[in-house]
Amino acid sequence: MMGRSRETVGSITGTLVLAVACALVLVPLAFMLGSSFMPAMDIMRMPYRWIPEVWKPSNYLRALAGNDGSWMYLRNIFNSVFVSTSIAVSTVLLSSLVGYGLAKFRFRGRNAVFMAIMGTMMIPFETIMIPLYLIAVKAGMQNSYAGLIVPFLMNAFGVFIMRQYLITFPDEMLDAARIDGCSEPRIFWDIVFRNAGPAAATLAVLSFRQQWDNLLWPLLIAQDEKMKTIPAYIVKFAAEKHADEGAMMAVAVIASIPVFVLFFSLSKYFLGGSAVYQAGKE
Amino acid sequence: MKRRELVGGLERDRSKWGWAFIAPGLVFFSIFSFYPMLNAIWTSFFNKRLLSLKRPSFIGLQNYQKVLGSQDFWNSARATATFTIGVFVPLFIMSLLFAALITNMKRGKRFAQAALYSPAVLSSVVAALIWLLMLDPRGLANQFVNWIAMTPGIDHQWLSSAAMVQVSTMIVYVWKYLGYFTILFVTGIGKIPDSVNEAALMDGAGPLRRFFSITLPLLRPTTVLVSVMILIQCMKTFSTQYLFTQSGAPLAPINVITLNIYNTAMRDLNIGRASVMSTLLFLLMLGLTWIQLRVSRKSEADL
Repeated sequence: MMGRSRETVGSITGTLVLAVACALVLVPLAFMLGSSFMPAMDIMRMPYRWIPEVWKPSNYLRALAGNDGSWMYLRNIFNSVFVSTSIAVSTVLLSSLVGYGLAKFRFRGRNAVFMAIMGTMMIPFETIMIPLYLIAVKAGMQNSYAGLIVPFLMNAFGVFIMRQYLITFPDEMLDAARIDGCSEPRIFWDIVFRNAGPAAATLAVLSFRQQWDNLLWPLLIAQDEKMKTIPAYIVKFAAEKHADEGAMMAVAVIASIPVFVLFFSLSKYFLGGSAVYQAGKE
Repeated sequence: MKRRELVGGLERDRSKWGWAFIAPGLVFFSIFSFYPMLNAIWTSFFNKRLLSLKRPSFIGLQNYQKVLGSQDFWNSARATATFTIGVFVPLFIMSLLFAALITNMKRGKRFAQAALYSPAVLSSVVAALIWLLMLDPRGLANQFVNWIAMTPGIDHQWLSSAAMVQVSTMIVYVWKYLGYFTILFVTGIGKIPDSVNEAALMDGAGPLRRFFSITLPLLRPTTVLVSVMILIQCMKTFSTQYLFTQSGAPLAPINVITLNIYNTAMRDLNIGRASVMSTLLFLLMLGLTWIQLRVSRKSEADL
């Protein structure tokens, strides 16, 4: 009896702690959204008001137009969307191609190739960024979409996910198709790739998000304003002294809309992504 | 005889297709992973400068001597270590605690997970930018702390004092990754069979006892995995520190190793020395990843 009531008290405390934690975690998000509609003066006012007293939606116009009125942010948003989408598509395509080759064909050296590809996961991007930069400069890929996209066309994590997924693909279906005279590329495209849905979707979402967040590489390779992506634009915008805070938060909100839309419509793939990672690593 | 030849031919044909399918991977990883890695190690022995037309000359271990003998490098090592420890401890404890609380909740599990996870959806730069404004002297952070501590009007110098700017970068990181690691722990706890917990409940073990004697030991594979992931993540931190320094925060206290590599290469144009730091970072990561792989293989064998 005693134990039961103590446990109830414990679980109520637990829920309370959790509720406070969730509220605190959400504070900066509320701050971002609320402030994006406020005049700069109100954002730094003591005490802070969560709901804007004076609405200033023109912050968003200012955010898009930039401090110099060049509307460069629009172009940079397009760059981010284009680069992240291209990388998501190519990662899924190439990783399933390689993953399929590793999962369903037996040949000498297969394990060595698989281990070598997995080994690249140990190479942090930060250690190879400078050689990569020199390669890209030599190839004339500075300030170009090719420069932003090509080094990320695929990755070892993607190959791993697709291989693990395709290894369970029924061999009978492949053999049946071969007996029917299907060519190997046709088999891959029409049978294997068509059925790779869940793994491909998870991988696409993860790759898109990772690139959306990428700052270091675009900073190196795209110094031309026109070729910058959102993160690099944000750094520049925040560093400009006369930038006003309301516009900064509007820039932040705009940058976050696509990933939040993705998150809420595909949350099972996001949260599933960590589950896949978990399953893969264990 | 004929049949065997036919099968052998098919096998050979199949293996050719296997190579064809993995060929794009071989080409890609050779050019964009293996070559740059070897190149970074190779370059660390040369006196190489960006934008210089002079042929880089071989100087043996001189770059290593210079880097290991410079205060700047050890300051970066210190900054990275401080940041890593300062993030690791609160992040690990809080995500484990919240995961345990979420598992015990009857309703609202999904909401709590989504709420805690939401900062992880944001870009690192956006996360840092929000905090940049909240940590302003006139901003929300001062107001909040002064309200809790009842110390009206004090400026805690979040972005200007050497100690506080480090704390500020840690706050951004813990805030951003808390939900991600909480979910990993929730998944890990979910894999523990209910029967074990029920048996302990029958024996009259309280919730704390159950957590420390059952959940925690059985969670070991996840705790090790999460630990290594946090460590690797922290050592690669870049965006927060970069945005803060670009917006006027002092560089030295938060000059983490990646930021130093970037500045050495792009500002000082000294590729050789940047490559030394890259190689050292790689070796450190290699060690950590090796532990991670060993542990995950061991837990696979346990299952």
